[in-house]
Order: sequence, then C-alpha cells, then structure tokens
Amino acid sequence: MSDKKKTHRLYDKTGDPTQDRPWIFRTYAGHTNVRASNALYRENLAKGQTGLSIALDLPTQCGYSSDDPIARPEIGKVGVPINSLDDFAVLFDQIPIEQMNTSITINGTAMWLLSLYVALAEERGVDVSKLSGTTQNDLIKEYLARGTYIFPPEDSMRLIVDMYEYSLHHIPFWNASNICSYHLQEAGATPVQELAFALVTAITILDAIKARNCFSEDEFERCVGRISFFVNAGIRFVEEVCKMRAFCEMWDEITQERYGVKDPKYRLFRYGVQVNSLGLTAEQPENNAWRIILETLGVTLSRKARCRALQLPAWNEALSLPRPWDQQWSLRIQQILAYETDLLEYPDIFDGSHVIESKVSDLKAQAYTEIHKVLEMGGGVEAVRNGYMKSALVASQSERMARLASGEQIVVGKNKWSEGLESPLVRDSDGGIFMVDAGAAQQTLDALAETRRKRDPAAVEACLARLTNDARGGVNLMEASIACAKARVTTGEWSAALRGVFGEYRPPTGVEGQRMEMVSESVGAVRQKVDNFIRRFGYRPRIVVGKPGLDGHSNGAEMIAVAARHAGFDVIYFGIRLSAVEIVQSALEENVDIIGVSLLSGSHNEIIAQLFEELDRQGARDAIPVILGGIIPEPDYPGLKAQGVKRIFTPKDFDPMLVMSEIMDIILASKVG
Amino acid sequence: MATQGNDIAALIGQASAHQKWPLARLISLVERNLPDAREQRDQIMQVLSAREPLDDCNGLVVGVTGTPGAGKSSLISEVCQVLLGRDSSCTIAVLAIDPSSEDSGGALLGDRTRMQLPVNEPRIFFRSQASARDLGGVGPQTFQVVRLLRQLFDYVIIETVGIGQSEVEVRQLSDHTLLVMQPLAGDQVQFLKAGIMEIPDAFVVNKCDEEALAQKSLHMLQSSLKLTHLALDQRKPARRLVFMTSAMRKRGIDELAAHLVGLHNDTGSRRDRKAQEDYHLRKWIRQEYGRYGIRVYEQRVLPLRQSDNAGIASSYEAREAQFIQAMEALISRL
Ligand code: B12
Ligand SMILES: Nc1nc2c(ncn2[C@@H]2O[C@H](COP(=O)(O)OP(=O)(O)O)[C@@H](O)[C@H]2O)c(=O)[nH]1
Ligand SMILES: [Mg+2]
Repeated sequence: MSDKKKTHRLYDKTGDPTQDRPWIFRTYAGHTNVRASNALYRENLAKGQTGLSIALDLPTQCGYSSDDPIARPEIGKVGVPINSLDDFAVLFDQIPIEQMNTSITINGTAMWLLSLYVALAEERGVDVSKLSGTTQNDLIKEYLARGTYIFPPEDSMRLIVDMYEYSLHHIPFWNASNICSYHLQEAGATPVQELAFALVTAITILDAIKARNCFSEDEFERCVGRISFFVNAGIRFVEEVCKMRAFCEMWDEITQERYGVKDPKYRLFRYGVQVNSLGLTAEQPENNAWRIILETLGVTLSRKARCRALQLPAWNEALSLPRPWDQQWSLRIQQILAYETDLLEYPDIFDGSHVIESKVSDLKAQAYTEIHKVLEMGGGVEAVRNGYMKSALVASQSERMARLASGEQIVVGKNKWSEGLESPLVRDSDGGIFMVDAGAAQQTLDALAETRRKRDPAAVEACLARLTNDARGGVNLMEASIACAKARVTTGEWSAALRGVFGEYRPPTGVEGQRMEMVSESVGAVRQKVDNFIRRFGYRPRIVVGKPGLDGHSNGAEMIAVAARHAGFDVIYFGIRLSAVEIVQSALEENVDIIGVSLLSGSHNEIIAQLFEELDRQGARDAIPVILGGIIPEPDYPGLKAQGVKRIFTPKDFDPMLVMSEIMDIILASKVG
Repeated sequence: MATQGNDIAALIGQASAHQKWPLARLISLVERNLPDAREQRDQIMQVLSAREPLDDCNGLVVGVTGTPGAGKSSLISEVCQVLLGRDSSCTIAVLAIDPSSEDSGGALLGDRTRMQLPVNEPRIFFRSQASARDLGGVGPQTFQVVRLLRQLFDYVIIETVGIGQSEVEVRQLSDHTLLVMQPLAGDQVQFLKAGIMEIPDAFVVNKCDEEALAQKSLHMLQSSLKLTHLALDQRKPARRLVFMTSAMRKRGIDELAAHLVGLHNDTGSRRDRKAQEDYHLRKWIRQEYGRYGIRVYEQRVLPLRQSDNAGIASSYEAREAQFIQAMEALISRL
C-alpha cells in the first residue's frame, strides 16, 4: 500500500483502496399466472439477480379482476394477474420477502398492491417495518405516457399522499412512489422534457404532501429522502451522462431551495433505470444488443450520478416479450460491465471536464425554464388537465417520426444499411418470439372462483363499506385497504368501490393542434390521392384511429392520427382504453371510410374478434374496411386476415406517408369494388 | 356511388328511428359537395318535411361557443347525461366542430375524448365535423346538417371551434347560444373588448370547481356586464342569463339542463327559420359567386318569391335552384 493517495483511486474510510459495489441487477418479469411467475422469480434469483421487479397484467393495473369481461383478452399477457391476497401468497411462495427489495410496477392500483404486500407480511408474521421496495405509483406520467390511470388527477394525488404518510410511519424502507422519466422518453420526451416533467412531478407530490401537513419537519425531510426516480437512458449516451448529472444537481437544488432540506443525504437523487426501448428495432433485431450496452453506459459511467438499480430490455424487444434466454442474455451485459471491466474502481471520471460541465449547465437551464413555465400555469396536475405536457410529448414524438422517415436521424438496419444477412436468432423454432400459454388463464380464473367461495361475504361487504366511507370522509385509505386485502376482497372490487367515489378520468390526447413538419415526395403523392378522392366523392376521406382494450401504448395511434391529418384526412381519435363497441359506434356515427386499430399488448386476436362481432351486429361488416397496426407476430397474420383485417402494419412501416398512401388505396378499393 | 331515391326513403325511415349508421350516412349525403348533391338534399328534405310538418316546435338548436379548453365538450357531455336521465323519451344530437389544417386541409376531430355518454343508446347521437377552413368556426355544411338533425331530435347541440367569430355565425344556426368561459381568466374583459358580449343568450362560467371561485366569478362577470349596460339591456334583458358550472365536479349542471328544457318547451324560443335559411343561402351565394351573385339573388329570385303566383319557392333547395337557374340564364346570355 503506497502512502500517497492517488486521485484516480477509490479509498474506503480506513484509507485502504477499495472499489464500489455494483448496482442492483433487476429483470422486469411476470406473466401467465402466479405459479409460472413464482417459478420464474426463483430461477432469476438463483442466476444472480439481486432484486425483484414485478410486471403485472393490464387488468390488475387498470383495476379489474380476471373474471371481468374487459379483462378476458388480457389475462396474464404482459404480466402476472393478481386478484386477491391468495394470489400474492402463491406469487411469493418460498421467497423471503423480508430480505427482498421488491419493485412493483403498479400505478392506478398501487395502494391496493402495497396493501396486499403488507397484508401478506402480516399473515406470514413478518415484521412489516422490514419490508423494502417500491411501488411505482407515479400517476402524472400515467396520464402523459403509460395509460394505466383510473381516477381523476386530484384523487390520484390524494392516494399517493396517503401512501407516503402510511409508509413513513410503518414501512420506512418503502418508496411509496417512484417518479418516472422513463416512460416520458418512451413517449418521445427530449432530455430537457424528461428532466423538467419528472421534476415537476416530484414537486407536485411534495407540494401535496406539504399541503396535507401530516409530518413534522423532521419527518418531512425523511419523506423527501424517500422520493426515488425511475429514469431512461437513450442511445446518445454522452448526453445521457450529462442528463443524469443534471438530474442529481437539480434535485439537490430543488430539495434545498424549495423544501429547505438540510441533511444532504436526503437530497440525493436516488434512481433506478430501464434503458431505452423505443429505439430498439424490429429490423435486424440482433443490433439491439449493442444498443442496449451503449445505453447502459449513460447511467453507469458517472460515479456521481450512477444508478442504484438497472434493468435491461432484450434484443427481441420489438418482436415480443422476452423469453427466459433473452433475459439471461441481457443480465449478462450487466454482470460483464460490473465484474469484468474496471468501471467500479474509479472516482468520478468526468469531474473537471469542461465539456461535460457546459452541457450539464445547458440542460439544467433549459429544464428550469420549462419547470417554471409549468409551475406558473398551476403545477403538474393543471398541466395534465390542460394537456400542456402531453401535447409537448406528442410534438416531440412526431418530430422524431419525421426525422426517421426522412433519414435525418440514422437508425442502422432500419433507414440505413437495411440490407443484410438474416439473423440466425429469429430462425429458432419459435421465431424468437415468446408465446403465453393460452390455457393458463383458466388457472387464474379457478383460483379467483375458489377465493370467492371460501371467503366470508359479510366481512368483504363490511370492509368495502369502510373503504367507501373513508374515501368519502377523506381518511387515509391504507388501513381500510389492508383490511380489504385480508378479507380477500378482489382487485376489481377494491377499484370499483373507489371508482364509485372518485369517478374515472380520461386525460387529453395531445394530438389536437399538432403540426407535422414533413415535406417529402411521399407527402405530395398522398395528398394528390386525397384530392382526387375529394373531387370524385365530394368529401374528405374519414378515418377513425382506435385503441380498443386496456393497451396503453398510444404512440403509434397518435402518430398515425397526426400523420393522417397531415395527409389530408379528417381523423377521429379519442384516446386509449375504449371498448371495441365504442370504436365501432364512433365509426358508424362518423360514417368513416376506414377503421384503423392500433394494438401492442398482444391481445389483438381476441380484440379484433370482438370488433368484427360488433360490426356484424350492426350490419356493417365488410362495408367498412378494417386495418391493424402495432406489435403483431407474423404467425397471427393468417388468422387476422381470415377474420377480415385488410392489412397489418408494423414498426417496419416507419414512413407514415407511405402508410397513408396504402390506406388511400384500401379505401378506394373498398368503395369501388 | 350515388344513393338512389328509394334508398334515401329507407335511410330516412331508419334514421327517424334513430339508427346510428343510416343517420350517419344521411348526414354524409347532406354534407357532400358534388353537382348532384343539391338535388339529393332536396329529396331528403322533402321526404322529411312530408313526414312531419316543419314547424317551430322542432328540435331546439343550442350553439355552444367559447375558447378552446374552456370545457365546452365536457359540459355538453354532462348536460346530455342529465337531459337523458330527466326524461326517458328525450333525444339529443351533438354536432362538434373542429378546425381543419391550413396546410393539409385535414382535421383532428377529438371532442369525443371528453364525452362520457351511454354506448349504443339510440337517444343520443354524436357527430364530428371539420370546419373546412371556414372562418366562422362552423363548417359550410353545418347548417344543412342542423336542418336535418333538428327534425329528428329534441335537442341539437352544436359545439363550435370556439375562436374568433364563431359566435356570430353560430347565432345564425341556433335558437339559443351559450358562451362558455373559464373563471377569472380575463376572458370576460377580452370578450367585452371584442364586442362579442352582444352575442350569447346566456353565459356559462365553467370550471367553478369550488363555491368560492363560483361566487368570485359571478361577481366579476356581473361587473363586466354592467360596463356594457346599454348595449346589453336593450336586448331581451330577461333572457340574459349567467350559469356557474363545474363539469368536473358536476356543479350547476342541473340548472343549465333545466334552462334548456324550459327553452325546449317554449315554442317562442325558436328563431325564425326562414330568416336563417335566407342568411345561409346568401352566405353560400357570396362564397360561390360574390357580390354579383347576391345582386342576382335580390333582383331575380326574391321578386319571384313575393309574387304569389309565379311559382314561389318556399323551400331552401327550391330557392337555391331558382338562383342557379337565374345565374345559368345570365351566364348563357354572356
Ligand atoms: C414505447 C413503448 C412503451 C411506452 C409507451 C408510450 C406510449 N405512450 O405509447 C411505455 C414505456 C409506457 C410502455 C409501457 C408498457 N409496455 Co411497452 N413498449 C414500447 C415499445 C418500446 C415501442 C412502442 C412504440 O411506441 N413504438 C413507436 C410507435 C410509433 O410505433 P408503433 O406503435 O409500432 O406504430 C407503428 C406501426 O406499428 C404502425 N401502426 C401502429 N398502430 C397503427 C394503427 C394504424 C391504423 C396503422 C395504419 C398503423 C399502425 O405504424 C406506426 C408507425 O410506424 C415496444 C417495443 C418496440 N420496440 O416496439 C414495447 C412493447 C409494445 N411494450 C410491451 C409491454 C409489455 C408494456 C407493458 C404492458 C409492460 C407492463 N407489464 O407493464 C407496459 C404497459 C403499457 C400499457 N398501459 O399498456 C411489450 C408488448 C408485448 C407483447 N405485445 O406481447 C413490447 C412489445 C415490449 C416487449 N418486447 O416486451 N411501453
Ligand atoms: N377543473 C376543471 N376542469 C375542467 C372542467 N371542465 C372541463 N375541464 C377540463 O378542461 C379541459 C378542456 O375541456 P374540453 O371539454 O375539452 O374543452 P373544450 O375545448 O372547450 O371543448 C379538459 O382537460 C377538461 O378535463 C371543470 O369544470 N373543471
Ligand atoms: Mg371540445
């Protein structure tokens, strides 16, 4: 050991050279049913994964039990279905929850899932104050990007504050919410928008907590210290390094200046990451592996601004959910970076870099301007309600779409060097695609029926009555929810009770008033087709762009709506989470020329069937052509076409004007033919 | 593919029973802009008026204006729910107009987003329409669609684009106009300056989520109204009304709905349909043929109407045809 300490080395408290411990390795996982997911978690833990990250299915996220008709097409598709405490007991079977750091991606029903977790601990006899983990519970980004909201914004804020209040007093290691900029980037946000809107969200929550006045000064400091973040990292990794440094500095400043937090430990920007998926391509999908590595650098290179937990998508992101092998391959990226490279041996390697410093202060200045703008218009809730933030995201997403279509932004294998040898990875017998076992939903339904049969109906009723009363009376809803959990109330029942009190909310779509900056030959060509149509038929072609089911992926539908208007269509678009019946009704009332459906959640087969059934009932089948876009695995094409779908569009159709041109052809063929 | 005569009769039959798709197709026929569209419209209107005489007790047409974001769509959704709930035979059509793009001519029709209406319910019909770059905030075909709808529904509610001059135009379409404003947004003062305060029959200050805000807004609006004392009070002062609502908290909706029910039941509340038709015919003539067209209309068509035995045209379409004939005669002489 040398006497003189070296600037490029890390030393521990006693002065010995040391190196950092790696971040938590996570794999976002869950599907099929509780049994399959439990097996998967235990397998992943055995492979060296160090925390649990739970994916729930859409009905659970949107507050419906599996036996609700709206849930049927979605049970277990994109995550694990949870109906009651009985399901939770199976999901965590043989997993010591007191030793786990459990991250639950849950928002609209976050309070319910936390209540189930606490109730599980209490029934197992585990000291609840030992529980550690996170409920995502950031509703502002749900309205802006992710789509699993239920209640109006004010009521959602109340539930969030209830959870902070409860957690601080009873489960001090629980992060009641996790402010997400991740989803904002996936919805199109620029780095500045990501910084600004995520920090606005944090401010909105802290202001609401302050307004409730439920904490002493000391407790409030600790509560600020519990605010954690979930961030994205894109392919422009140098800028992302700077963005993360900007986040850390801004959070330190905001907590100190706006909230007077004295202890620096409570001003730390603690964050987990999932790296960017929006940029991962369906074309030459093997290239995604390299993109994922590069994206990882943005959140690991700075020691000062390094993530606490990391989860990575897989090479086949744009094809389907990852299979176990795909997840393992991604986990290996983290292990190689943490254990084979020298990354963790150094102090911050960017300190003193003028370039980084200048870029960071530039990002900060722009983000502060945006934050002040939103705060002046009344804060995060108001900027959700008036659509300001959503419109900003849709505008950024359409700029991105225009850049991709024009080739201004290069994506290798997509709009450049798109010729190449076929990847052997997709030549697997399953085509590199994960398929959920369709029969598995029955096990979930059986378990739910069993729970309903065994429980005490009077207790259920009493617990729900208390929940409703407390909701009306402004009482913290955690205790009532935990009581519901223990009485085997179901996810649907808990949500329905609160829907009854708060009502439901649909946020602005952000598409109105969007202008697309796209001038190209393809624009001129499609407008010519539209003009010819108008001359011939005496009106502008009309399209309804529909998002049926619980799928919240709105980017594609928004882009198609904006592009259709740019091409010259009259476009009917009214947001996500509609029923097939509502979409058919809108198509009929508006007398459209074509119905365009966008589906990415994997439930297309069932939902398209519902749509045609309703068209049939209304006597309009075959009279209005139906097209479909989104993540649709090729093996499903023949079935969908047989049902009557005229054309299926995928992410490979990335020039929206070519899409519009094809749509014009389909309309013409159906009118004339 | 042109729709044939007996098809039209069938469509009208189904539309009268409030079947959605047939009605929607009928609207499209009326909206269509092709040489044969007028004849077809004529046919439709004739069948309709034969079905039931055109009188002043047809549907009440309510025009709703106000700046984008004021809450027009949300409010209409709430009012419709209350109206439908009050009376199980009540029927409503909503026509929502959105702006067309200057650049492409296309439009995003998104007012449905705010509608929480029962699904597959024949008593309520919702239709979107593009303003088609018409500066008035309603589309050129809006009037024609309103003529159709008011024969089929108890209430026809028109949501305008909501900027600039739409208030002036919408008055020519409706029996009653509501101006929706946001509390304390300074709109009031702006409207005063623009002279638009003259237009609405009633004011709605929406987003009064809390009582205190409602009171404050009422106060401010009243004092703004006082400023224009003269201009306002000379015209039907009794009908000038102010409503404080919150579409979000469902406040003041019952009062607004009751107001509309009162108007609906009052035969005196209908504006003169002939005058409206005359206005819209002139508007169309001016757009297509300019001032020359208006002269032709005034000198060659109006006198025809006055002399009783010269085959006067009482219907809109017949007068339109007379005008076109007059124009064609003049042009052929050139
Ligand atoms: C962005 C994204 C998100 C964003 C969505 C933001 C938003 N507001 O849209 C966020 C982060 C919120 C998100 C969340 C989730 N996601 Co996601 N997401 C993606 C991702 C990375 C890109 C999708 C996208 O927006 N692409 C850009 C748009 C423009 O492209 P597009 O939608 O494909 O549309 C194009 C074409 O398909 C076509 N098109 C699409 N629709 C239509 C309609 C018509 C009429 C026409 C003509 C054409 C057309 O034209 C468009 C232009 O090219 C995909 C994977 C991928 N790389 O594709 C996963 C993916 C779709 N997500 C997935 C999952 C599982 C989820 C979650 C359900 C996870 C969970 N368990 O919680 C959540 C929940 C979301 C919800 N509420 O439903 C899975 C779906 C799995 C499946 N189908 O089996 C995917 C495939 C990832 C994966 N491999 O696991 N996601
Ligand atoms: N706080 C509040 N917001 C409202 C109210 N009515 C409508 N809004 C919100 O105002 C925004 C615009 O409403 P919308 O009905 O689309 O307005 P329009 O453009 O006038 O049709 C939406 O985000 C609504 O949720 C209300 O009474 N109170
Ligand atoms: Mg509107």
